[in-house]
Amino acid sequence: MSVPLARRQLLFRKGRALAGVAGIAAALLLVLALNAIFAGINDRLTAYIDGSGADVIVAQRGVDTMHMTQSALPEQTATAVAAIPGVAGAEPILYVPAMIERGERRGIVYLIGDDSGGAPLPVATGQRPRLGEILLERTLAGRLAAPVGSRVRAFGQSFRVSGQVEGLASILNSVAFVRRQELARVLGSTGVVSYVLVRAQPQIQPKELAARIEASVPGVTASTRETFARSERRVVGDMTTDIVRAMIIVGFVIGVAVAGLVAYSATLSQLRDYAVLRTLGLRARRAVAVAVAQVGATVAAGFLLALVLAWALAALLPSLSPTLVLAIRAGDVAQAIVVAGAVTLVAAALPVLRIARVDPASVFRR
Amino acid sequence: MAGQTLVRIHDLAKTFGEGKTRVEAVRGLDLELERGEIVLVMGPSGSGKTTFLSMLGGLLRVTAGEIWIDDTNIAALGEGELPPFRARTFGFIFQDFNLVAALSAEENVEVALNIAGLSGRAARERAVELLENLGVASRLHFPIEQLSGGEKQRVAIARAIANRPVLILADEPTANLDSHHGAETMRLLRELAKEEGTSVVIVSHDERLREVADRVLWLEDGTFKALHALVRDPVCGMLIDPDEAPASVERDERTLSFCSRGCRDEFLAQNTPQGYSGQEP
Repeated sequence: MSVPLARRQLLFRKGRALAGVAGIAAALLLVLALNAIFAGINDRLTAYIDGSGADVIVAQRGVDTMHMTQSALPEQTATAVAAIPGVAGAEPILYVPAMIERGERRGIVYLIGDDSGGAPLPVATGQRPRLGEILLERTLAGRLAAPVGSRVRAFGQSFRVSGQVEGLASILNSVAFVRRQELARVLGSTGVVSYVLVRAQPQIQPKELAARIEASVPGVTASTRETFARSERRVVGDMTTDIVRAMIIVGFVIGVAVAGLVAYSATLSQLRDYAVLRTLGLRARRAVAVAVAQVGATVAAGFLLALVLAWALAALLPSLSPTLVLAIRAGDVAQAIVVAGAVTLVAAALPVLRIARVDPASVFRR
Repeated sequence: MAGQTLVRIHDLAKTFGEGKTRVEAVRGLDLELERGEIVLVMGPSGSGKTTFLSMLGGLLRVTAGEIWIDDTNIAALGEGELPPFRARTFGFIFQDFNLVAALSAEENVEVALNIAGLSGRAARERAVELLENLGVASRLHFPIEQLSGGEKQRVAIARAIANRPVLILADEPTANLDSHHGAETMRLLRELAKEEGTSVVIVSHDERLREVADRVLWLEDGTFKALHALVRDPVCGMLIDPDEAPASVERDERTLSFCSRGCRDEFLAQNTPQGYSGQEP
């Protein structure tokens, strides 16, 4: 058909069309942004593990996560692991949640005590911590107003800030590094470590090495870095899945309500036009297609606007709040497309029913 | 062209509702219409004119009877066959113009061509040609709401004749027009009928349309009445069937018929009662 009927009908009342697009965009943005926020949290959640250089992580038996988890291993475990063929290096770490304070300011961190002071993670400012020093994540350092050389407190002990690392903080928590023996002393738990970070020799696969460690060292669970990170993400995923699902439903309902209302009010105002066109010979299915195309175009425009806004948020939010990272993933975009498609189908249902039943003879009624 | 029968309607009836709510809108209608003939259907409100027009245009299913357009009985066509038949057979003209507000003048004509299967440049050129011929060339891309009543009706006429229909069905085509534009519409309909051989059925209350009609039919109570047998109510001027008049008055050995007792009473109040007697059939 040459005359773009659906487009003309849709754009005839521009204000209504824009309101519909904006409403649907807001609903889909809710879905996209929330998914992106949780994806961002997941990325940051495993940033330490991803950047630790470990191929295998050894924990107390049954433990394969760090977040909201406790693991305790005898210090000799690291020596036993290091002696296993295929192990290039085994570094024990202590890993405890802690409150870092500077005056009235405070922040929650996972405090990591290791012998390398956070290596191989790059130091952004300053240097790695020596005894009596702490390496802070940049966001937390900013929030505490604790520049390099200033002092903060943890577990009642004063530490000098030796430097800053970056990219490890999320809205849930941050990370800080101190020397392991100092953390052990502060905690009064000498002879115990939380995890052992294992580097594999080049000729052995991490999965094979993990199995070899579990077979050789009693009372441990050895996981490859990927498996460990996946478990870590699942912890947060389990906590957030219901929230995300609820928000998707809310987004869907709002989307349907907005798109449905816009489509229905547009249909009602165009009902006589449809009757006229049916009188002229337009088939019912073609009239329905025109209505569905209008709803589809509104939802598609709303989806594109939501995507642009989500990307804009992803670009802008970290500069406003460095811990709030939005990661927009293809899977989440696909999910939003599915939601948008469902919104289109549901929102178009009522108008389609009205148009399919429109009586061409009604054109003679005044 | 003239003298060839285009439309044959036989024993047409339409009933709405059932039981106590059953209404016979039209019944026993018979009509033959020749090519190029203009038939004006008049009658009081509620007489069945619109029902008749809707059935003739394939917009309303008949209860009984046949409507033949050439060799096609549209009463027997399926739901799927009616829309394309309407698109290529009929042109519709409405009192309210019924133009699609979201489309320009040119697009309103083009869309009718699109529906009938003509698209692209050919449809656009035909639409433009028609509008130019009807004197609205300068308004091709105007939104409908910016056109005058006369211009709207010319666009509506262009749309009605775009697919070269054999029959134009016009519902009160002059009702929303001033006398000048009304006369112009009448002239256009006359031209269509006499030069193009298009038959025209007009449903209207407008007495002026008698001037262009070849035949005037009176539809009342769902049936066609012989116009010569009708008399005029001396109060309101309405044409009525004296055999079914609700009230009458004897005067000077003549019977005056009224459309209602109200008109009869008004007549009696305004005329000296001596010698007159009101009657109710």
